[in-house]
Amino acid sequence: MTPTLLGRWQTRILLMETVGLVITLLFCSGFFGNPEGSGYFWLLQYIVIFGLGWDYLYIQIQNFRWDQDWPAALQWIAALWEGLFIILLSDVAEIKLPGTDVWHLGWFIVHYSFVWIAVFITSQSLMRLIFPRWRFRGGQWL
Amino acid sequence: MSTIPGQVRLNWQDPVTGEQRTPLLTCPIAFGREFAQMPAELNHQRVARIVLNSSQVSRYHTVIEWVQGHIRVTDQNSSNGTWVNGVLQPSCNVSNGDLLKIGPYEITLMFTLDGTGLPTAEASEQSIIQVPEPDSPVPAAPVAAAPVNVLPPAFQANQVVVQDLYATQLPVEEIDYLAVGAGLGSFIWVNFLRISGAAPQQIRALGIEERPYARYQRLCLNSQIPPHERLRSNSDSCPDNIWGWPGYALREAWHEFNKGKLNPALQYLWQVFAEPTFIQTYTPRAGNVFASIDREAVRIGWPQMYRFGRVRAIRKTNDGRYAIAYSPGRKQTAFVVARHVHLATGYPVLQFLPDLKAYREQTRDFKSVVNAYEDHNHVYETLERQGGTVVLRGRGIVASRIIQRLHEARQRNANISILHLMRSPKPKGNRFRKAQRSVDNHFEFQPFNWPKACWGGTLREELEQATPDQRTNFLADWGGTTTADRQDWKDLVQTGLDQGWYQITFGEVTRVVPNAQSRPTTYIQEKGPRGEIQLEADFIIDATGLDSKVKASPLLNDLVTHYNLPLNPAGRLAVTNDFELLEMRNQNGRMYGAGAITFGGPYAAVDSFLGLQYTALQALDGLVAARAPNLRRLNGISSFLQWLKWAQNKTP
Repeated sequence: MTPTLLGRWQTRILLMETVGLVITLLFCSGFFGNPEGSGYFWLLQYIVIFGLGWDYLYIQIQNFRWDQDWPAALQWIAALWEGLFIILLSDVAEIKLPGTDVWHLGWFIVHYSFVWIAVFITSQSLMRLIFPRWRFRGGQWL
Repeated sequence: MSTIPGQVRLNWQDPVTGEQRTPLLTCPIAFGREFAQMPAELNHQRVARIVLNSSQVSRYHTVIEWVQGHIRVTDQNSSNGTWVNGVLQPSCNVSNGDLLKIGPYEITLMFTLDGTGLPTAEASEQSIIQVPEPDSPVPAAPVAAAPVNVLPPAFQANQVVVQDLYATQLPVEEIDYLAVGAGLGSFIWVNFLRISGAAPQQIRALGIEERPYARYQRLCLNSQIPPHERLRSNSDSCPDNIWGWPGYALREAWHEFNKGKLNPALQYLWQVFAEPTFIQTYTPRAGNVFASIDREAVRIGWPQMYRFGRVRAIRKTNDGRYAIAYSPGRKQTAFVVARHVHLATGYPVLQFLPDLKAYREQTRDFKSVVNAYEDHNHVYETLERQGGTVVLRGRGIVASRIIQRLHEARQRNANISILHLMRSPKPKGNRFRKAQRSVDNHFEFQPFNWPKACWGGTLREELEQATPDQRTNFLADWGGTTTADRQDWKDLVQTGLDQGWYQITFGEVTRVVPNAQSRPTTYIQEKGPRGEIQLEADFIIDATGLDSKVKASPLLNDLVTHYNLPLNPAGRLAVTNDFELLEMRNQNGRMYGAGAITFGGPYAAVDSFLGLQYTALQALDGLVAARAPNLRRLNGISSFLQWLKWAQNKTP
């Protein structure tokens, strides 16, 4: 798919707050044997909010590509960077994001990977089936 | 023949439509993006003003003047400059055969300083031949014979009275939805109708081939894409599956995996994951595409909806519908009256280089000079038997297939050589804002025929919102002849160049004539001291393309003339953003267009699989808004349920 900025934003918000949220709530309840708490929920919201900014950057990068496309490989690289950014903030710069008092690097990586892979798989399959116009509109489903 | 001093023949290929333009003009000649920004007069002489549509061209870009016995080119402080023979030139004298590059336009200048005359150039507008048709049209005659070619007088009216059609005693059928063409464009629209709720009894598809892909397949076969070869198409552009999931790559990977072949399966998945940045683009095999269309055709009931018929004329009726006259067999006429009509008639004609068409008409030799879209297997068979030389013209995707096929022929007979004749070198690719297309050995590469974002991304959005003039600018910047970036093919060309059996020559063809042995000889104008040189060949293959000007189709020409329909700047049917022919609206009746006949409008990739799906979806949403019978808007739930039916191969 070759997303537009609006498409990136819409898809990000929709998938993170549905598929991503379901997985996050499981983490919040300690379902995976992890320490429970609302920190995972807040981390998800930060990923969404920072992501809106990242999306703007990605659209600028897209302009340098002749096809103005964004293959799945670049989506993965972007996802790695976005996760790393949170880690840099919390672990290296030691900036306390409000709501994430019990920061745990290992469980963050597990949580983030689960969310991201679920979102990716959904965007590659179910999104197309439920929103038949989505892929023609650069990821806009509204 | 003599010419007036200062007369120049310009020659270029339009980057939007691929047409050859060859005007003969008298200096001064101005070039620019806006007609009004160019001077009407210079030194009391009237200026010939040429408008070049591209954002790379300034409003008033360059002027050509006759100054003291010389032809002089002067750049008008343009943003991207004027290039003469590949060198940036603010101002310089030019000689005969020089190449002027202004944005994406490459214009050859032909003139004589002593008035001795220029070779005549044939307009490319007439230089076309018919798209090959099936050998034996199917039908036996089910209805009473009536003289063909004579449409009933009722068809002269702007609004046909339906009773008048019944009064002719000829067969009349009334229907809700009619697809004219019955090719891939029709098939995809009908598929959307079916999954949105219309029943087969409400739909007819009129055309001359039973299988919706038959014509496309024939063009593929002629241009050397047999079933096992891959098309230039995306994995999720599937005419059989409007959701694009699972795409061909996933299906092919699954197939290989089931056969226990893990490596190819993983390779296909890696391709769709990383294309085109880290690996070359995945494309589906022609045979798989056709097989999946066959399966879907049965599922949606295509055989019940298809009718053989050569559509002859279309008129509005006085009750808000459309009357279509067609021939269901030799010397027969019948009518369909339909509420909603979809036109997808494809490319009416093949483009033929004027000098080659002239050669065929003079010599009646249809074997040595061929169009790549015609059946020309005899060329390869002869070459494999006795060797020889081929002159190839054009450098798009089809030319790349021909080179590959000739390379295969060389495996059987090494005595085959290819002379690729190009009008001009291609040192750099097209530019659009911050991006540039890649180039190798004078071929420009792009995974598909447009930048990928033209299908669903930012470029699609921009084109839709643009004015008709801006659209032409965009299309000039994104278009031009490109070929797929395939490593094996690039290696093949490099090997050919190194070993000498493949050569590239640049020059302007002045004429093609038979020599003493009746072999076609091409005379070209080269720059520099060599002047005119001649190329002898056993065969010439024209791989310059298809033509979709609506005037070339008798049916569309009649429609456009009769209802005074507007054409877009590319000379195709003007359509709205949901692909309606607005001027054909008739009360509740709606008419839509799709495919090549709408090129130059709100969507660039109209003739691609995905483009046809996009167009059909737009048209369908328009029909739902107009409360067309039995149609429901495809929403999240109905879409998903319909996909489940597709996956289980159940009727919609």
